[in-house]
Amino acid sequence: MATGRGIVVAVAFALLGVGGRACAGPVDDLLQQFQAQGASHFTVAAGEALWERSVTDPKTGEVRRCALCHTTDLRKVGKHATTGKAIEPMAPSVNPKRLADKEKIEKWLERNCKWTLGRVCTPQEKGDALTMIGSR
Amino acid sequence: MVIVPRHARVWDAPTRTFHWALAAAFAGDWFTRDARYLDIHEFFGYAIGALVAFRYAWGLVGTRWARFASFPLSARSAWRYLVSLARGRQPHHVGHNPAGSWAIHALLAMALLEVATGVVTLGAEKGEGLLAGRFGYPVGDVAHAIHQWLAYGMLGVVALHIVGVLVGCFADRQNLIASMLTGYKPTDDAIADVDAKRGIAVAMTLALAVGALAYFRGYLPATGTQPYRPYASRALPMDAVWKTECSGCHLAYHPSLLPARSWSRMFAEQEAHFGEDLGLGGETLRHLEAFSASNAAEALESPVAWKMATTIPAASAPLRITATPYWVQRHERLDAATWERVHRLECEGCHRDADGGEFAPGAIDMELGKSAVRKGK
Ligand code: HEC
Ligand code: HEC
Ligand code: HEC
Repeated sequence: MATGRGIVVAVAFALLGVGGRACAGPVDDLLQQFQAQGASHFTVAAGEALWERSVTDPKTGEVRRCALCHTTDLRKVGKHATTGKAIEPMAPSVNPKRLADKEKIEKWLERNCKWTLGRVCTPQEKGDALTMIGSR
Repeated sequence: MVIVPRHARVWDAPTRTFHWALAAAFAGDWFTRDARYLDIHEFFGYAIGALVAFRYAWGLVGTRWARFASFPLSARSAWRYLVSLARGRQPHHVGHNPAGSWAIHALLAMALLEVATGVVTLGAEKGEGLLAGRFGYPVGDVAHAIHQWLAYGMLGVVALHIVGVLVGCFADRQNLIASMLTGYKPTDDAIADVDAKRGIAVAMTLALAVGALAYFRGYLPATGTQPYRPYASRALPMDAVWKTECSGCHLAYHPSLLPARSWSRMFAEQEAHFGEDLGLGGETLRHLEAFSASNAAEALESPVAWKMATTIPAASAPLRITATPYWVQRHERLDAATWERVHRLECEGCHRDADGGEFAPGAIDMELGKSAVRKGK
């Protein structure tokens, strides 16, 4: 009897574990990672502000924003500012391939922050951006 | 007394058909010299080959004035003809005049050579046509250069021929152009009509029409979404890592578009890649370097690779495909409005096979990216 109950509990935990892992996803992993690096609570509003923040590139004099390549409406197809290439929509609601690969997200955040803001983003900024993108 | 001029049939129907078909095919070839229209250009070229072959035969067995024997190449009589024209006399010739003979023989010979160099170029540079794969790229280069210069030469002879015809018309007070259409010329009574030989002309016209139908039949079932491609583009070797790392910001340009020295320079400077930090390192970087080295312009057998490998000065290692002499030369005819619509780095907007790296002329979008724009790019 006791062993039977033990098995049920073990199976339940195992299921919870599997389910929990599947739900967490790469974004949640990253958000936890950013918080471990000192970031606090992430908000969509802060992400939106970052998305629209304009920074003048000191070398070229160009005004750069995330929305320049990805558009303000994340459900629309964007266009690379220098190469003209079409960029698939960022919103996971219309493009399920977005925010699905942790390494890819990290690589592009690193690259795009450097290009747009002239520096890497803080964990707080990265978390806000991902929270905002994930909400679209 | 009113003299009623007699008209005699001088040009038989096959000669007239040949003349106008050759003129049309020559014009067709001239206006389709852009690589986009290569298959149409090729058809007119074959047509010219067939027409000229016919004319050589007709020059031996045709009717009186169509025979080469009636208009021999003689420098002395051509000179005499020109001198008497200049003195304002009216030298009348029933068939071709002695100066016109030179233009005709020159055009026939040049047309034959033009077709031959075209077929060699096509076989060597694109691996297509009657002589596919028979010659290497170096032979193709020479044949192509002759083909291009000879075309200008022919245009020059055509111009002289037209001037000669107009001068002849005024000096002789007769409409030579109408004669080439109807076959009749005002002549002395003594000249007999030649046989019209209409059957042969009808057979020629039919052969051209059937040939065109057979040649272009692939276009009949084509639709907007499934366009007919006259040339099959091979996909050159591609690599999954190259594709993911290099396709984010632009097309993953095929490594055969630049020489190995350009790629090694690009990877050495990868943290400042046109203002972007590619952030490559370790295994990924080594992998990309190895793939680009073994598939660079000088390592691959493709028409574009050959051009890139042989036209970029050895002392330079350009980072831009669009700054190479060959690219610039091939795109100089495109206007600003087209570049406004399609960014120059979006090769795939105009070249349907850009992904595979072949850049075959037959895969160039006839509307140059207009359809890409319509899809909502
Ligand atoms: C110069 C153009 C450009 C700018 C500006 C830009 N990005 Fe990007 N971004 C790209 C491209 C290109 C990709 C890769 C697109 C693809 O994979 O289809 C990308 C991908 C991403 C991804 C990965 C999405 C995924 O597929 O999971 C994120 C996240 C991202 N960008 C965020 C940002 C943020 C935040 C900013 C502003 C700080 C920004 N980007 C500014 C061009 C840009
Ligand atoms: C983060 C974005 C980004 C990535 C990723 C990227 N490039 Fe580029 N690349 C650019 C930009 C921006 C330009 C210059 C566009 C301009 O201003 O004309 C460029 C230009 C080029 C050009 C020159 C094009 C021309 O003819 O003008 C080549 C070749 C090229 N890249 C190769 C590569 C290769 C190979 C990779 C993969 C290892 C790669 N790129 C990855 C952004 C990128
Ligand atoms: C706006 C449309 C357009 C774009 C964009 C474009 N091309 Fe082209 N390209 C053409 C046209 C049209 C021709 C044929 C020109 C001619 O024959 O006069 C051509 C010819 C070529 C040829 C020669 C093909 C042959 O066999 O004759 C090569 C190679 C080529 N392009 C490579 C490229 C590459 C690489 C890119 C991207 C960096 C590119 N093109 C971008 C329109 C375009």
